[in-house]
Amino acid sequence: MLFRRTDLPLDRDPSGRFLPWLIALMVYLAALALVSAMTMGKMVERWDTGLSGTFTVQVPPPEIGAPGAQEAAIDRVIELLLDTKAVRSAEVLEPDEIAALLEPWLGAGATYGELPLPALISVGIDPAAAPDYQDLARRLAEAAPGTVLDDHQSWLGQLLDLARAIELVAALIVILVGASAIAMVIFATRMGLAIHGRVIELLHLIGAQDAYVAREFEIHALRLALRGGVVGLLFAIATVILVARLFDRLDSVLLPELTLSPIEWAALAMLPLAIAVVAMLTARFTVLGNLGRMP
Amino acid sequence: MIRFEDVALRYGAGPEILRQVSFHLEPGSFHFLAGSSGAGKSSLLKLMYLAQRPTSGRAHLFGRDVTTLTRGETALMRRRIGVVFQDFRLLDHLTALENVALPLKVSGQRENKVQQHVAELLAWVGLADHIHAYPPTLSGGQQQRVAIARAVVGRPSLLLADEPTGNVDDRIAVRLLYLFEELNKLGTTIVIATHNESLVSRFSYPVLSLSGGEVRMRTAPAAASAGAGGTDRGSAGQGSAGQGSAA
Ligand SMILES: Nc1ncnc2c1ncn2[C@@H]1O[C@H](COP(=O)(O)OP(=O)(O)O)[C@@H](O)[C@H]1O
Ligand SMILES: [Mg+2]
Repeated sequence: MLFRRTDLPLDRDPSGRFLPWLIALMVYLAALALVSAMTMGKMVERWDTGLSGTFTVQVPPPEIGAPGAQEAAIDRVIELLLDTKAVRSAEVLEPDEIAALLEPWLGAGATYGELPLPALISVGIDPAAAPDYQDLARRLAEAAPGTVLDDHQSWLGQLLDLARAIELVAALIVILVGASAIAMVIFATRMGLAIHGRVIELLHLIGAQDAYVAREFEIHALRLALRGGVVGLLFAIATVILVARLFDRLDSVLLPELTLSPIEWAALAMLPLAIAVVAMLTARFTVLGNLGRMP
Repeated sequence: MIRFEDVALRYGAGPEILRQVSFHLEPGSFHFLAGSSGAGKSSLLKLMYLAQRPTSGRAHLFGRDVTTLTRGETALMRRRIGVVFQDFRLLDHLTALENVALPLKVSGQRENKVQQHVAELLAWVGLADHIHAYPPTLSGGQQQRVAIARAVVGRPSLLLADEPTGNVDDRIAVRLLYLFEELNKLGTTIVIATHNESLVSRFSYPVLSLSGGEVRMRTAPAAASAGAGGTDRGSAGQGSAGQGSAA
């Protein structure tokens, strides 16, 4: 080959040794942050769609020695509910259904025996026309003292806050990772400029433009960043798969499902590419900025 | 081609290496730049290949005042100038062939278009058997010829050679000079710096003589035509009008 791919022997620079590993670490962190954010977002979405369109009414357990009082209260509550606009259905959950709901927390086979449990009424509503929960809760409490309405909103709101916080942290990590990648590439490029000052001077003397010299550094940075980025991504994917296995074994409804959609996989795959492009542009502007100051 | 008017040069706060240097070199001319070691020959050549700018005075190259050139224009102008550096400045990690092809690559020429030309040029300087050798494995004389091939590969309008015969014996030195004469006949303006007065005297070319930081123009030495070693080839018409004039 007559024209070498690169004229500067950048491959032998120390940057070739440290830059890919640092980039790998950066991409690893960014990838895990992204996966956390995406998973959290999906979990909130799942709970949200699962819960909207329903709310729960809780009728307190009977006082000791007042059998039948709870049944009467339940009847009053259901009647009131079904009279309310937007309510489509109201069903009392059977004891075994409640047991199934409690199982993840209390374990299978827990027997409740004579334990007084509140009665749970699952209410289906028309999601387009949500009732006035405050007014409804007040009227329910009048009909059957101690009755509580849970529209899941405060609970879901906290979950949303948590999800947003995690997304914010993830975005922060990605920004920090990008900034450190830029700093590292600037450092490596300056080092390369110093090491190869004589060769660069010769290239200039035989008529090379600054952009030509910059191109050499761009290609170098692109290759190193791509190499490091792919390694970092592979480690991140391995970590995600491992954690997903762990979650599977724990089999808890509390934990999110760790499966990514094709679009999410594509977003992850974009990470090394994005960082490689950032590295390339950084190298370019570092070289152009530094050479511009040379005579 | 090259016009210097009262050019002075100093490095940093050091002494003036060149002062009040004025001369004019016509296109197509052939000049020696003579002077003892340390006289400032390399410094004067650096001004000509734009590696240095005058501290004061005016230097015109290809009709342009060099102080007005942008970085981009400087690069383009350098492509019209071939330089044989005193220390060759070959790139050790490139083969002879790649070194010679470098100026063409830098100026954006296509690889397949220049392959033939580069190989022929290396054969022309007698290195057909060494085109894939790396400079550190070549002798000083061979490296010098690679450097010369690199300087002329872009068919420059101006060729500047800094002691191009420093590392070879007189017989080869004379042969290298014939090579420059060939180029000169094809229209290239040539300036050859040397401290070897006996070599200068074998050819009948005008001489820019540097001493004490000042330049004097000596027109073709009369003694030259009777010189030894084949001056018969290069003497015709040299020193006549248009070759150069002292300012
Ligand atoms: N880059 C430089 N910085 C400072 N002084 C220099 C530099 N290059 C050359 N000089 C000085 O300029 C003078 C002329 O050097 P040079 O042009 O190399 O002479 P020549 O080529 O005729 O031997 C010398 O005294 C040398 O020390
Ligand atoms: Mg010198």
